[in-house]
Amino acid sequence: MNLLASGFFGKRKRSAQSRAVFLRRNGPIIMVYAFILLLVLIGITQSERFFTERNLTNVARQSAFLGLVALGQMLVILTAGIDLSVGSLVKVSILVSAIVMNGESANVLPAIIATLGLGVLVGLIHGFLINELRIAPFIVTLASLVILRGIGLTISSSPVGKASREVMMFYVQKIGPIPIIAWMFFLLIVLTMLLLRFTVFGKYLYAVGGNIEVARLSGVPIKAVRYGVYVLCSLTAAVTGLLWLSRMGVGDPAIGDGIELQTITAVIIGGTSLFGGRASVLGTLGGVLLLGITANLLVMLGVNQFIQGLIQGVIIVAAVALYKQEGD
Amino acid sequence: MSEFILEMRNISKSFAGVQALKDVSIRCRPGLVYGLVGENGAGKSTLMKILAGAYSADAGEITYKGERRDQASTAEIIASGISIIYQELALVGQMSVAENIFLGREPRHALGILNLPELHARSAVLLKRLGIELDLDLPVSELTIAQQQLVEIAKALSQHADLIVMDEPSAILAGSELDQLFEIIQNLVEQGVTIIYISHRLEEVFRIADEVTVLKDGELVATRPIGELDRATLVEYMVGRPLDEVFPQTEHEQGELVLAAKDLATDTILDGVSLELYAGEILGIAGMVGSGRTELARALFGADPLTGGSIELVDKGASAWGSPAQAIGAGLVLAPEDRKAHGLFTTLSVRINVSIPILSTLTRLGVLKRRAEDQVVREAQERLSIVMSSPDQETQFLSGGNQQKVVLAKWLSTDPAVIILDEPTRGVDVGAKFEIYRLMRQLNDRGIAIVMISSELPEIIGMSDRIMVMNDGRVAGELTRDEAGEARIIELATLGAAEAGQS
Ligand SMILES: Nc1ncnc2c1ncn2[C@@H]1O[C@H](COP(=O)(O)OP(=O)(O)OP(=O)(O)O)[C@@H](O)[C@H]1O
Ligand SMILES: [Mg+2]
Repeated sequence: MNLLASGFFGKRKRSAQSRAVFLRRNGPIIMVYAFILLLVLIGITQSERFFTERNLTNVARQSAFLGLVALGQMLVILTAGIDLSVGSLVKVSILVSAIVMNGESANVLPAIIATLGLGVLVGLIHGFLINELRIAPFIVTLASLVILRGIGLTISSSPVGKASREVMMFYVQKIGPIPIIAWMFFLLIVLTMLLLRFTVFGKYLYAVGGNIEVARLSGVPIKAVRYGVYVLCSLTAAVTGLLWLSRMGVGDPAIGDGIELQTITAVIIGGTSLFGGRASVLGTLGGVLLLGITANLLVMLGVNQFIQGLIQGVIIVAAVALYKQEGD
Repeated sequence: MSEFILEMRNISKSFAGVQALKDVSIRCRPGLVYGLVGENGAGKSTLMKILAGAYSADAGEITYKGERRDQASTAEIIASGISIIYQELALVGQMSVAENIFLGREPRHALGILNLPELHARSAVLLKRLGIELDLDLPVSELTIAQQQLVEIAKALSQHADLIVMDEPSAILAGSELDQLFEIIQNLVEQGVTIIYISHRLEEVFRIADEVTVLKDGELVATRPIGELDRATLVEYMVGRPLDEVFPQTEHEQGELVLAAKDLATDTILDGVSLELYAGEILGIAGMVGSGRTELARALFGADPLTGGSIELVDKGASAWGSPAQAIGAGLVLAPEDRKAHGLFTTLSVRINVSIPILSTLTRLGVLKRRAEDQVVREAQERLSIVMSSPDQETQFLSGGNQQKVVLAKWLSTDPAVIILDEPTRGVDVGAKFEIYRLMRQLNDRGIAIVMISSELPEIIGMSDRIMVMNDGRVAGELTRDEAGEARIIELATLGAAEAGQS
C-alpha cells in the first residue's frame, strides 16, 4: 500500500498565501492555548493542590466527560445545526444503563447496547424531523431537550439502578499515568480529525454547513449527512451517560443538566462558527480544557460558585471578540 | 437514438403565481453551441435549472440521450453527463479549490476515505488545461470572483459532461480570461460536447453560437441558425420592438469641480491615485479585473481606510470621511459591483430597500409614516420604471436589471452629489442597459457627477466623458472621449503608463 508514500498522511507543501490564511484562521486558537498556559501557571503558583497528580487526573477526566459530547456538538454545528438535547440525553442514558445493568456483570453488554441504541434512535429521530419535516434543528432539539428531561424525571426522581463492579472500576483505571477515560477522549479527537480531513463524510459536513444550496446542486446526499451527524452527536451523549454511570455508580437523575450549553460554549471558544462551514478539533479541545481548568482553578482558589458562572460568561465574550478581530 | 442529445418539450413552470416559463421547447444536437438569450426574467435560468434538476417543471417532458427522463436527483443528472455553471456562483467558500471542484464526486478509497493525491492531481490537471495557476488548498472565499468563476468552469469540466450549460459565465470575465473560455468551448465542441451558452453580451453569442434561441416573458420567441440573424434582429426578438443602440450623450458643458482626490493609497492595492470629478459628467474607469478599480470605489466611499492621500467634496467643504455613513451624509454614494452581496437586502421588499437610507426622515416621533414611504417608493418606481409585482415583492425575485434599478433608486432617494457605479450593467439585458444609460444622463442633467467602473469597453467608450485607465493600483492614463479607442485602453490597462508611452 503506497498511501504513505503518496502523501496520504504527509502534508503537501502549502503556498505562502494558503499558509497566511491558515495562520489568520488559527491565530485565535493559539491564543486560547496561551491563555490555558497562563491559567496553569496561576494554578501552580497560587495553589499547592493544583499541580498534583491527583488533581490533574481529575481535570483530565472531567475534560473528557465534556469533551466527548463537545466533539459531537462541534460536528453538528459544523453543518450549521445545533443539538440542545445532549444534556437530557446524558441524563436518560445514565438512568437506562443503570437500570438495565442493575449491578450485574452479566448485564453490562445489554446495558451498553441499550444505551447506544437509545443514542442512535434519538439521533435518527432528530434527523427525520430536520430532513423530512424540515423543522429547524434548534426547535427539534429544544423539544427533545424538554421531552428527554421529562422522560428522565418520569423514570425516577431519585437515584435508581446500579453499576456493576467492573464498570465502577473503569472510572479509576489508568494506562500509564493517564485515566482510560482521558485516553478515550484522546482517541476520539484523533478519529474526528481524521474524519474531517480524510473522509468524504467529513467534507460533506463542511459543504452542508458552508452552503447547503451548493451542496444540493453538487449532488451531495444532504439527508444522509444530516442523519449521520445527529446520530454521531447523540452517540457521544449516550457514551457520556455510560461514563457518568461508571463515575456515580448509580443512575442519578441529577446528571446531565446544562451540558448542552457547556459543549456549545467550548465549541465556540474553539473557533467553530455557529453559522456552519468552519470547525476546529484542536480549538474545541482548547475550549474544553479552558472551561475545565477554569472551573477547577476557581474551586481550588475557593471562588464563589456564582462568580464562576460570571467568569465563564466573560470568557465566551472574550473568545468570540477575539475571533471577530482576527478571523474574517 | 435520435439525432438530438437533448429535447425539452412544452416546458412550463410557475412560481407562486409568476409564470416563469410557458410551453417552451428546445432541442440540441451533439457538438454544437446553442445561444440562449432574452431579457432579464425571461426564464433562461429557470429553464436550465429544470434541466439540471434543481427545479421540477409543472408540465412538459425532457428526453436526454434518447431516453425520456422522469424524476431524477441532481446527483443522477450529473452522472448522466449534464453539468451546469450556475449564474450565481455555486461554490462553498470555506472549502478549498480542489474540494470544490470535486464536491459530490470525490475520488475515494473504500469506506469513504478520500483519495487526496488523486484529488489534487486531477484538480491540477484541470486547472492547467484552463491555463490558470491557483493554490489548490486555498479556500475559494480567498479568491477573486473571476478566479472563482474559473473554478466553476473547472468543476463543470471535471464532470466529463456531454452537455454543459453555461449561465452567463462571462459576466465577470474579461480580456484574456474570456479568450481562454472560448478556447475551452472550442475544444469541448471538437470532442462532441454540446454547449448551451447564456449571455447578455450578444457579440459573444455571435462569436461562438451555431444556433440561437430567444425567450421573452417565459415564452419561446424564435430559434434560428446564427447565420440567419443579425444583431438588430436578435435585439428586436429579445425586446419585442426595434431598439437603436445609441449611447445617450450630454449636451451641457463641463461643470464645476465637485470632488478632488489626491494620492490615495490603501493597504489593499491603491498606490497614489488622484482624480478630479466635475458636476454633470461621467468619468469612466477602465482596467483589468484586479487593477484596483473596485478598491478605488471603496476607498472613495470610506469603506476601506486610507493609508495616505486626501479626498474632498468641494462645494460641501467635506473631506476625509471615515465611514460609508459619513460619505452618504456628505453626498457621495456607491452602487457596488456585487449587488446581491453588498447592494441589496435580497430577502426584504423593494419598499424597504428603496427607503432604508432615508428612513429617519420618514418618521414622526420615531414611527414610520407609511404614506410618505409609499410616496418615495412610487416615485422611484415611476422614475426608473422598475418592473415588480408590488412594492412588497422580495428583491431576490426581481430580474437582474430590475435589481440594479432598485439599487439605483435606493441611492437616488438620498439626493447625492456624486454616484459611483461599479459595473452598473453587469448581467443586465440590452433593453434595461440602455434604460440605465438614459437614467445616468438624466442624473447628469441634474448636475450629479458619476464615476462609472466597467469592464465592458463599448460601454466605457460610449458613455464616458473622460476615461481613466487603471493598472496595478495606479492611474495608467487618462483619455478624453475622442482619444479613446478599445486598442488604446487595452494597451494602457495591460502595460501601464510608462511602457505604453514608450511603445
Ligand atoms: N425561486 C423563485 N421564486 C420565485 N420566482 C422566481 C424564482 N426563480 C425565478 N423566478 C422568477 O421567474 C422569472 C424567470 O427568472 P429567470 O431567473 O429564469 O430569468 P433569466 O432569464 O435567467 O433572467 P436574467 O437574465 O436576469 O438572469 C422571473 O420573473 C423571476 O422573478
Ligand atoms: Mg438568469
